[in-house]
Amino acid sequence: MRPKKSVAVTMCFCLLVLLTGTLHAQKDSGPRGGPPGAGGAFPTLNEAEMGFFNQTAMRFLEVDSVSGTIPGEGGAGLGPTFNGNSCAQCHAQPAVGGSSPVPNPQVALATLDGATNTLPSFITANGPVREARFVRNPNGTPDGGVHGLFTIAGRSDAVGCNLAQPNFAQALANNNVIFRIPTPTFGLGLVEMTPDNVLRANLVSTFNQKTRLGIGGAFNTSGNDGTITRFGWKAQNKSLLVFAGEAYNVESGVSNELFPNERSAISGCVYNGSPEDYTNIINDADGVSLTGTAADMSSDVVGFANFMMLSAPPTPAPATDSTTNGSDLFNRIGCALCHSPTLTTGPSRFTGMSNVTYRPYSDFAIHHMGSGLADGVTQGAAGPDQFRTAPLWGVGQRLFFLHDGRTSDLLVAIQAHADCGGRNRGQGQGQGFGFRPGGCDSEANGVIRNFNNLTPSQQQNILDFLRSL
Amino acid sequence: MTKQSMAILAVLSLSLSAGVARAQSDPGPRSGAPGAGTPITLLSDAQTGFFNDGAARFNSTHGVDDGLGPTYNGDSCGSCHLQPAVGGSSPAVNPQVALATAHGGTNTVPSFITVNGPVREVRFKWQLGRDGSPNRHRPDGGVHALFTSQGRDDGGGCTMSQPDFAAAVASHNAIFRIPTPVFGAGLIENISEQTILDNAAANAAAKLALGIVGFPNRSGNDGTITRFGWKAQNKSLFVFAGEAYNVEMGVTNELFPNERSNPPSSCLLNSTPEDVTGGDSNDAAGTVTSDITAFALFMRFLDQPTPAPATTSTTNGAAKFSAVGCALCHTPSLTSNTTTVDALSGVQANLFSDLLVHSMGDRLADGVSQGAAGPDQFRTAPLWGLGQRLFFLHDGRTSDLMQAIQAHRSEDSEANRVIRNFNQLSTKDQQDILNFLRSL
Repeated sequence: MRPKKSVAVTMCFCLLVLLTGTLHAQKDSGPRGGPPGAGGAFPTLNEAEMGFFNQTAMRFLEVDSVSGTIPGEGGAGLGPTFNGNSCAQCHAQPAVGGSSPVPNPQVALATLDGATNTLPSFITANGPVREARFVRNPNGTPDGGVHGLFTIAGRSDAVGCNLAQPNFAQALANNNVIFRIPTPTFGLGLVEMTPDNVLRANLVSTFNQKTRLGIGGAFNTSGNDGTITRFGWKAQNKSLLVFAGEAYNVESGVSNELFPNERSAISGCVYNGSPEDYTNIINDADGVSLTGTAADMSSDVVGFANFMMLSAPPTPAPATDSTTNGSDLFNRIGCALCHSPTLTTGPSRFTGMSNVTYRPYSDFAIHHMGSGLADGVTQGAAGPDQFRTAPLWGVGQRLFFLHDGRTSDLLVAIQAHADCGGRNRGQGQGQGFGFRPGGCDSEANGVIRNFNNLTPSQQQNILDFLRSL
Repeated sequence: MTKQSMAILAVLSLSLSAGVARAQSDPGPRSGAPGAGTPITLLSDAQTGFFNDGAARFNSTHGVDDGLGPTYNGDSCGSCHLQPAVGGSSPAVNPQVALATAHGGTNTVPSFITVNGPVREVRFKWQLGRDGSPNRHRPDGGVHALFTSQGRDDGGGCTMSQPDFAAAVASHNAIFRIPTPVFGAGLIENISEQTILDNAAANAAAKLALGIVGFPNRSGNDGTITRFGWKAQNKSLFVFAGEAYNVEMGVTNELFPNERSNPPSSCLLNSTPEDVTGGDSNDAAGTVTSDITAFALFMRFLDQPTPAPATTSTTNGAAKFSAVGCALCHTPSLTSNTTTVDALSGVQANLFSDLLVHSMGDRLADGVSQGAAGPDQFRTAPLWGLGQRLFFLHDGRTSDLMQAIQAHRSEDSEANRVIRNFNQLSTKDQQDILNFLRSL
């Protein structure tokens, strides 16, 4: 009797180990190595456009100081508050124009040039570049705005400025702060060139399948001209030019022709006339001519916008059996209902960008994502738990995922899409903001349930496919 | 005639003439040379060059191949921003009437657009449901352009109907806005946050006593104070230029690159954006900046209006304007901060506005929310240049300053007590205020 029982027990135990072991066998293989699959100009540009791209890339790389007087930091306008001192500092992975690199450049930036900033706890050397937004104002009304991490106080080019950083520790203790990481900018000209009608038709085309899975989707629209906005974590921004202007003022503190007024402009911390970036009335190159090329005469923000507009989308890795199967499954289980594999541009001014079918893996619509992802911030039509479907092109070479970069593991990122029935691995439990954990508010629940019902090797195929993008 | 009956006659005459001599009246638009439209005097030669280039583009009439349409309210910036000079407001002869059928267009002129009335854009308060009637659960607030390119000889066969404006008017779903003048706008752009906030906090006791509140509208992008437009909804001249180019003329640009109003493909004839950096063969001056960059520079370099020389009447009017409380919202001047354009730096802008939004009551309410400005809230309209303007209030409903003043008063308006103060002034003092306003 005893031997039989112990054999049975042993067998059960072995089986359990085997099964559990197999269930954990699918694994995110991590960022795809090799050369960056992105960062170059759109391949069909003409000579003038290519020249414009190359020249504006230089501006994207330019490092800013308060008045442009520090060697190596020739741009002017940094601060009084800032999160970064150059676009390329934070938009860097896997190439200039991308997303958050490692190590996190914000760590060194805190005390660069003598600045006396304390590093907030949520900025770490191996963690993502982040901006911080406060959910509520002190009086309880909604905030949602960015509060710059650092001030110029203490810098050698900011003598006399005593601006203190916000109290991030307090904001954290009050569950009043959320984070956003940089979005990659490769190929965004194609997104800009996609007419509203195409986005609408795409959303409607899979209506029945979506409804069956509990997926909705709506568009965020511009308060200025009523058209669909498509850029940013909540699809809140209309165009690359608006984004460039906003980021220049909000992330670096450089006031510009779009956003000409300095934020946090307290007495003693304002060193430059406004706006700090402007159209060159005189050609910068020779300091005399009244004419020049577009690159010579344009303001930085126009330069940035054109750099992004003329960039090539990421190139996927060559297909394998696993990635092909993964792509198939990605469509079959319903991921592709929000992460639309293809869209097509309308007629474009830029050479070879008309009627191009491209592969963003996003519908550029906003969806409810439930308590796990809700950040409590409203932007335009996007409410506290609504986010734009994050475009997945280039995800293969990205390091951090989800709006706050909370994970580097694609599997965790996938599970975070669900707020009930999913398998959150302890990470990404969410800050709530009024959404009940397990409240089944996420539109992705049905699809993630499908994902979890796949075999481990099928899940691995999907992970391999994603890492090939 | 007996002494008694003469006395009665005298009293009667006096009453009659008192009734007739409640005769303070708007003297009408100030004639003579325009007091606005010139560039700031201290611009450098290079800056003046950009001003002239911007002005030329501002005045350039667009056809469909330049990007006009498929929907539009005007075919050049300067045709609607014209009174008393380019950069101004609505002219005496409304160009929109002729525009409806220019180039063979088959548009009907809506009832609220008349030859002697103001240039107008239309916004719907509520979105339309499937049955075409307003759905009061879904706010709209957006501009629905008057005309389409259908029938135009350059329209390429575009087939697109106008919105049903008659139904919108009948269902009280349509509200109107007239062009705002842009003289001195570069100064407004460079008034610092702190200056606006300090001015808002000033005279607190007087404002409290009169029921005046006011608060700034703010950008959803960078959180700073927005100050352009009827509800102070726009951040900068550049944003305004981009928005207006696409919304009023249908010219897509680098700020607003997508065509509006879901046109059919028969109307989508041009590559977008229709206005780009790097030049366009239709530019008058041929410089490389985009049109919207040039428009913004033109507007930024426009000088503030010059008032007429003071008289005893206008001097008294100015004093009474402050005494009754008008100046608590219509702040006589604010000073610009240090700017990159010397000519705009540290300049006193005599704008007669606090750039804040205020509740103006149910007679002025238009039902549209923009940013933090709710359905009955409006930016204090800058009064500089008022003397040569033809139409007043956000929808141009009157050409009579007296009526415009009285319209400030209605249920829940912050201006009620000030208007009551105004109405209690003597006829002469009210006339002096009108004369003062027409001198601006």
